[in-house]
Amino acid sequence: MGLTMASCQKDDTDLADVIADYQVQPVGIELDFSALTEAPDVPVTDEADSAFNDYVENSSWSKVIEISFADNTATVNGSVSGVSVQTDGAHVTVVNMSGPVKFIVSGKTANGSLKFYGDKRFQIYLNGAEIANPKGAAINNQGSKSLYVVMADGSVNRLQDGTDYVMVDEEDQKAALFSEGQIIFSGKGGLTVIAQGRGGIRSDDYIRIRPGVNIYVNSTAQDGLRANDGIIMDGGVVNVNTTGAGAKGVRSGGVMLVNGGRLIAISDGDTRIETADGVTDTTACAALYCDTLVTVNAGMLKLKATGDGGKGLNAKQDVKVTGGSFQAVATGTRELKKPKGVKVDGNFNISGGYFYSYSRRSDPIDVSGNTSVAPGYKTYELKPKVLTIAY
Amino acid sequence: MARSKREQLIILLLVFCAAIIPTSSLADDGGLVVSAGTSHKFDKRLSAGFEVEFRSRNSFRTADRVSLGVDASYKLLPWLKAGVGYMLLIDNNRESLSYQDDGISYNNWRPSYWGLRHRLNVSLTGSYKIQRVELSLRERWQYTYRPSKMIDNFDFDEGEWEDHEVRGKGKNVLRSRLQLEWDIPKCKFDPFASVEFHTTRELEKTRFILGVAHSLKKKHDFKLYYRYQLSGKSSDEPNIHLMGLAYTYKF
Repeated sequence: MGLTMASCQKDDTDLADVIADYQVQPVGIELDFSALTEAPDVPVTDEADSAFNDYVENSSWSKVIEISFADNTATVNGSVSGVSVQTDGAHVTVVNMSGPVKFIVSGKTANGSLKFYGDKRFQIYLNGAEIANPKGAAINNQGSKSLYVVMADGSVNRLQDGTDYVMVDEEDQKAALFSEGQIIFSGKGGLTVIAQGRGGIRSDDYIRIRPGVNIYVNSTAQDGLRANDGIIMDGGVVNVNTTGAGAKGVRSGGVMLVNGGRLIAISDGDTRIETADGVTDTTACAALYCDTLVTVNAGMLKLKATGDGGKGLNAKQDVKVTGGSFQAVATGTRELKKPKGVKVDGNFNISGGYFYSYSRRSDPIDVSGNTSVAPGYKTYELKPKVLTIAY
Repeated sequence: MARSKREQLIILLLVFCAAIIPTSSLADDGGLVVSAGTSHKFDKRLSAGFEVEFRSRNSFRTADRVSLGVDASYKLLPWLKAGVGYMLLIDNNRESLSYQDDGISYNNWRPSYWGLRHRLNVSLTGSYKIQRVELSLRERWQYTYRPSKMIDNFDFDEGEWEDHEVRGKGKNVLRSRLQLEWDIPKCKFDPFASVEFHTTRELEKTRFILGVAHSLKKKHDFKLYYRYQLSGKSSDEPNIHLMGLAYTYKF
C-alpha cells in the first residue's frame, strides 16, 4: 500500500522554469502617432559641416511658387525666372533651372501629381496637400540635388500612388514620393504616404528626418521608406507599415543613423518567392534592413516583423548602440526563412541605452561577427527568446 | 558422486535462470506489479477468471498502469490448453521530449498522460511434465487498440501549448513464453521461472521471471516473483526490474 501510495509522483522532466522562459511574450510594438516632446532643433551653421546643406534654414527662399490642387485641376500662382511650370489637369511638371525655389503645395486631387526636373535644390512646402496619382508617383523629383520637404505647422498632408505605374523612358519612379536626390524632411506637420504600386518614400541618395515631423508610410507593395545612400533620423515621429511579400519597412543602402525621435517600423509581409531562369529565390521581410552600419545614439527605434521569416533588424554589417532605445520583435513563422529579432552579419557593439530583441521561433539575436557589451550595464538578461541589455 | 534427482532439478533450474537473465544496467528502472483476481473452474476443461493489476515505474514512485482483465481457457487435450482474454488498460504514458537539430535546444515536449487501450488475446499452451517439473510453452497473439486522444504538447518554437492528437492505432504482438514450474514434495513454495519474447516485426521486449508460488487450502494462490524486462533496440522505454505479487481466489 505504501509503495502504491508513493506511486503518485510524476516522472516528467521538470521543465516549468524552462517553459516559463519560452512563454515570455514580446513587448508590444504598435504604430504610435502621438507627438514627441523634443529638444529644439538647432540648425547647423558651420558651412564646413557636411550637414549644413541639409538645413532648409541655411538657404534663401525668396523665390516662391504656389501650386494649389482642386479635384482635377492645379492652379499655379507666382513665377520665377528660370522655372517653368506646366499643368495637364492636376498633373504638374516643373523644370527648375533657377536657384533654390520654394513650392507651396496645397489642395486635394485624386488624379494629380508633381514632377520636378532640374539640378537645383528646392523646397516643397506642404500646406494641406492631398495628392493621389492612379498612374504613378504623387511626387517625383528627377533632379539629383536636395529636396526639402517641409510640412507646414499643424498641416495634414497625404500622398498616394496607384497600383499600376505608367513609366517614362529613362526615368525612375520608384515610390509614391520619389527623388533622385536626397530628401530632407522638416516642419511640424504631418505627412501620410500610401503606397499601392511601389514604395512609399524613396531616395536614390539619402534621407534625413528632422525633429517635429510626423510621417506615416503605409505600403502594401514595396519598401516603406528607402534610401540608397543612408537614412539619418535626427528626430520626429515616423511610423512605417508594410505588408508586401519581401518588403522592408525601412531600407538603407548606406548607414542607418538614429540620433533622436521615434521610428516605428512594422513589417507584416511574408517571404517573397521569385523564380527566374528556373532558379527560385526567396527574400524575407524586415522591419529595418541596412546594408552598412546601424547606429543608435538616441531616440527610439522600434521594429516588428510578423511575416514568415521576417526580421526585426537585418543588418548586413555592424550594429552599434550607444544610447536611446532599441526594440526588435520577430513573431513570424519559419517556413521559408528564419524569423529573427535581430540579425547582424557584422559585429554587434553596445555601450549604452536600452536594447531588446525577441524572436518567437529562434534565438533572439544572431550575430555573425563579434559581440561586444561594454561594462556598466544594469541589466543583461539572455533567455531562449529574449535578450535585454540596459544601461 | 552421483547427484539425487532433486539436486539435478535444482541445478537445471538455476542454469536456466542464469542463462536467461542478462546483466542489468545502472540506468535500468524499477517498479512493482500487484495483481488480484478470481478464477472459477466450471468443469475439468473450462475455467474463467477476472484480474485487476497495478504497475509502477520510476523506482516505484510513479503509477504506470492499471488494468482490468477477463479470460477463459479450455483444455483441448490433457497437455494442450486454449485461452482467450480481454483487457482494459489504463496507461500512464511516459513523457516525450525532442530536441532541435543542434541536439541541445528543446523542440517539443509531450508530458506524460493517461490513456486507454483495449487488448484482445488468444493463446495455446502446451505443457509437458518431467517428474515434478512442468515445462510449458505458451504462444499468444494479442491485438491492442489505442483510441485517438487529444493531449497537450509544448512547442518550444512557438513558445506555447498546443493540442496534439495521438492517433488511434492497432498493434499485433506475438508473445512466446517458455516456463518451468517445479512441484517440490512436502514444500509449500513451488519455484517457477520463465522467459517470454514479445515480437512484432522485430523483438520488442523480453521478460525474464523468477518466482515462487504458494497455495493455501487450494483456494488462495499467491505468487511472489522478480521480473526483468529487457526492451528492444528500437524501444524508448528503459529496461526495468519489477517485483511482482499476485493473488488469485479460486472458487
